Amino acid sequence: MIEKLFTPVTVKRINKFKTLKRGYYSLLIISGLYFLSMFNALIINSKAIIVSYDGNWSFPFTGKYYENEKLGFEKGEKQNFRLLKKRFAGEVVMANAQPNVELPTNQKTGWVLMPPYHYGPIESLLDELEGNPPTAPGWEHPMGTDDRGRDVLARLVYGFNVSISFAIIVISLSYAIGITIGAILGYFGGKIDIFGQRIVEIWSSMPFLYTIMIVASIWEPTFFMLAFLLAGFRWMGMTYYVRGEFLREKSKDYVSAAISIGASDAKIIFRHILPNSLTPVISFAPFAVVAAISSLVSLDFLGFGLPAPTPSWGELISQGLANLQSYWLVLAPFGAMFVTLLLISFIGEAVREAFDPKQYSRLR
Amino acid sequence: MHGTLAYFIRRFLLIIPTFIGITMLSFGVMQCVPGGPVEKMIMSYQMSSSDGEAGGAGGGMEAGGSIPEDALEEIRKFYGFDKHPVERYFLWLTNVIQLNLGESYRYSEPVWKMISERFPVSIYFGAIGFLLSYTICIPLGVWKAVKHTSTFDTMSSVIVFIGYSIPGWAAGIVLLTLFGGGSFWDVFPLGEMHSAPELWETFSFGEKIIDQIHHTILPVFCYMVGQFAGLTILMKNSLMENLGADYVRTAFAKGLDEKVVVFKHALRNSMIPIATGLGRIFSLILAGSYLIEKVFNIDGIGMLGYTSIIDRDYPVALGILVIASMLKLIGNIIADILYCLIDPRIRFS
Repeated sequence: MIEKLFTPVTVKRINKFKTLKRGYYSLLIISGLYFLSMFNALIINSKAIIVSYDGNWSFPFTGKYYENEKLGFEKGEKQNFRLLKKRFAGEVVMANAQPNVELPTNQKTGWVLMPPYHYGPIESLLDELEGNPPTAPGWEHPMGTDDRGRDVLARLVYGFNVSISFAIIVISLSYAIGITIGAILGYFGGKIDIFGQRIVEIWSSMPFLYTIMIVASIWEPTFFMLAFLLAGFRWMGMTYYVRGEFLREKSKDYVSAAISIGASDAKIIFRHILPNSLTPVISFAPFAVVAAISSLVSLDFLGFGLPAPTPSWGELISQGLANLQSYWLVLAPFGAMFVTLLLISFIGEAVREAFDPKQYSRLR
Repeated sequence: MHGTLAYFIRRFLLIIPTFIGITMLSFGVMQCVPGGPVEKMIMSYQMSSSDGEAGGAGGGMEAGGSIPEDALEEIRKFYGFDKHPVERYFLWLTNVIQLNLGESYRYSEPVWKMISERFPVSIYFGAIGFLLSYTICIPLGVWKAVKHTSTFDTMSSVIVFIGYSIPGWAAGIVLLTLFGGGSFWDVFPLGEMHSAPELWETFSFGEKIIDQIHHTILPVFCYMVGQFAGLTILMKNSLMENLGADYVRTAFAKGLDEKVVVFKHALRNSMIPIATGLGRIFSLILAGSYLIEKVFNIDGIGMLGYTSIIDRDYPVALGILVIASMLKLIGNIIADILYCLIDPRIRFS
């Protein structure tokens, strides 16, 4: 199938990439995990997948709100599906924090299908935990809980999805900006090039992390705003490479041919030259993902990242710094970040090897 | 040499528009900041007036109207907000050129004084980290290139990859968790430049040095983690490229010893990209420091920058932004100049 989609050179490169086992398997692992994490709501969630009560089926995991009466909860009771499951199973369960609710008065029967791991990333478990949070790892919470009594494992797994999605958005945006500007500078040259390079130099002289901190302290960014901000300060690197590629490709015969048959500038840039200048773009992408994830973790750590209850690795690490004796708050997110970044840099190494090989010839 | 000189002159002249661009951008960002000095004055005026009224519940809202228009005008004039933004920008710019960055809202101290007081601290950690990483990474990179595809090369590549996947500041927090006396070992202090002043005063000179080193090890290690991978790989690739070049082939062909070829011929040429990195020493010292200084509670420029944003002390934040951008700009130019001086083959036009 790939033979139909790509040029022979690209097919050769993809096949070469597949022979580099370390990078290839890392790609399979990362993309597999990311695909799985799309279904986090079904795997790791405090909300039930299906509640069957009084003949009605409900699907709370979708995030849709159901009335307490529909699910078999008492009036005014906090919706805790783990308790509900036990109650339906006939166990007498008291809701600790709600002494006013008399339990169990429920005579009707039903059943609850919970996800395999029944704690969510945002749910605070203060009512259920023994002792004060953060609590140490144990059977119920393999990675402990954080300082607000939230399950660390759930936050880590959701944080993985957030980090990768964030990186993908940032890379797409910054590549779109960087490639377009680099292409324009390289293709048109002359005054546009000189002026544009000045702008790029100004932009890249701004300390990007610090500038984002200042902007974030003013406007408290949302997920997409933060992605735009980061992309807005991260597109410069790509411009240099694309500009260089365009300067070189411009003088080749096929471009002259395209000009002589009257193709428009936009068509020459995007249809003719760009596909031939994508090598640096592709071989830098994995490393750009590493950079984007580290930036997100850094910003979250400093408190200028994603808005509050979003599960994030950086926020967990900053809790860990504040509670040094709670080692799991540091080691768990650090481990997750480390393994993720390591696998992605393995991918990067293999991609570079396959797409941009440097043959070192040596005597002896 | 003539063309090179002309290039440098042009390069330096180009600083001017870039500098104006940077300052305009920084100034523009700061204009959007709410809670500037005028609003702060109004707030404090409202606070004091509502304190005066008995039971001033919600007094702030009503008192807002009670500031006389001419008093407001007076406050605006005092802080220069009665002028057009463009005019204000140029006033501010002339001050910046004279290193007059205004006064901190919070400490009522000149911003330049606050920043320059903290330079030594940041430079101390940054420079030690910088020098140590060069002394480790260059020999390592050379060794890896000479022993390319050997077991040593493969093993050390693993370490390089690990180093690449760990941000320096995050390594610092892990080290603090392990060695800072939380739940594992209590080997290293949690941070700061040296022990608490009361204790520090009682130390003899020798003890002071030991204490200082004790406090330096972890932060410097973090600075090194941040540069380790990039520098080692750069050194290795650069040397590999030269070892494949024709002049190396010639040197081997005329029967020179491998050591002479590598160290005398190839190494000198492959140091060029490494040496230009020295130009970035300024910005490198500041770059990682926001995070590392925060982690280790070191009162340097990064920490000042962080706390000034938290405290919304925007004159300080703006001052640091401008100075950091300038250092980066100068660093890039020094890198270009070094490039040109080290490698006489390079001609800019």
